[in-house]
Amino acid sequence: MPDLVSLNAVMQPVAVARGLPNDHYVSEETFQAEKAEVLFGNWAAIGFGRDLTPGEAMPIDFVGLPLVVVRGREGGMKVFQNTCRHRGMILVAEKKSVGGVIRCPYHSWCYALTGELVATPHVGGPGHNTHQDIKRDELGLVEIRSHIWRDVIFVNVSGTAPAFEDYAAEAIALWAEYEDKPLVAGENSTFQFDVACNWKLAVENYCESYHLPWVHPGLNSYSRLEDHYHIEEAGKFSGQGTLVYRPMISEDGRRFPDFEGLSPKWETGGEYIALYPNVLFGVHRDHAYAIILDPVAKDKTREHVSIYYANEAAATGADWAEMRAKNTKMWYDVFEEDLFVVEGMQKGRQGAAFDGGKFSPAMDGPTHCFHQWVASQFCPDAVAAE
Amino acid sequence: MSKGLDDALLQAHVRQDLSALVDLYTKAADVVEDLDAECFYLTHAYIFALDFGDARANALHVRLVHHGREA
Repeated sequence: MPDLVSLNAVMQPVAVARGLPNDHYVSEETFQAEKAEVLFGNWAAIGFGRDLTPGEAMPIDFVGLPLVVVRGREGGMKVFQNTCRHRGMILVAEKKSVGGVIRCPYHSWCYALTGELVATPHVGGPGHNTHQDIKRDELGLVEIRSHIWRDVIFVNVSGTAPAFEDYAAEAIALWAEYEDKPLVAGENSTFQFDVACNWKLAVENYCESYHLPWVHPGLNSYSRLEDHYHIEEAGKFSGQGTLVYRPMISEDGRRFPDFEGLSPKWETGGEYIALYPNVLFGVHRDHAYAIILDPVAKDKTREHVSIYYANEAAATGADWAEMRAKNTKMWYDVFEEDLFVVEGMQKGRQGAAFDGGKFSPAMDGPTHCFHQWVASQFCPDAVAAE
Repeated sequence: MSKGLDDALLQAHVRQDLSALVDLYTKAADVVEDLDAECFYLTHAYIFALDFGDARANALHVRLVHHGREA
């Protein structure tokens, strides 16, 4: 169980607060507690909608929980526990196109893509496929609450979080201008990193601009520290914005088409937020991205990056392939520059004398905002001190 | 079941050829005289038809329901 005295120190104002204690990064017991309270108790990201076409099923292991994401014939998405109701066998071992039903490879109980149990062969003896005690309408797949926003598949495993539209209302409002715009998955625009750190360190590093001039000197050459601002929505999300975003321009003078109808703010604006717990978003006038942090273990995180464009031509057209590749490489290089710091902070937390750290009141507000939210998951009655 | 049909079934299983399995298990059901054996093979044909999304599942379902073996 996390140390509530230390968590109380996290809940203090940023000027006097300490960061989350070491056990939130190095303790298996605390990792398991966070799994229940932080990852399963909220809306966590598990995958991208782009990865499934209608009729496909894709297994996802989410912090040890076997899930299967299914896209129905009409395009709707559902998430189920990937476990047969009979003997607990894993139903879908690898991503596949489902011909008609999801058939358990063990005794061939069959489930519709909508989760209903539709066939139970020999369940009443050889050639007898019904039995009075096998009530199919009570034995459908266990559905997990799910929602898609900005192509990210979210799940609330506990079933206790508010509806996603309420949970993420402030984030949706922040980028309301983008809500009705197409968000087209870019071809050759995904990549992954396997990182030796706790997933929260990736959130924390993403939230703040303090490190930019030191870790990303290339970015800082045009986007200086003073061109950034904090984004903080207590208990919801935090991050940073820039006032000087410049779209990429090709050698022949072209740039990606903009999302249509944006306000002047976005001509030179870019914003980057961590929607708690585990997804990082970025938006600009001409492209956007999402990074899902898969908490593989207490000290291992897989980062899944996916980039999106404003229309089909920019996202998949051959005319834009070279520009897309350049943009993907640019983000790959930027995010790769962050790896040594998140892995370094993980190693640093093996030092037992580290007390959670001292925040810069001026620069670390967004990181402290995230720490307060994590701490509040274990002491829900605590009120963050202003 | 004839050896030829048995061999064909085994080969279809190795190939994971669901369409062939529907066809061959239906043939197996058609040549046996015992109702339980018929329904055993019909069940396999039906399940593989469901798995494959094959329209033959409907007729196989009707046969099993007729024999009181499926809901």
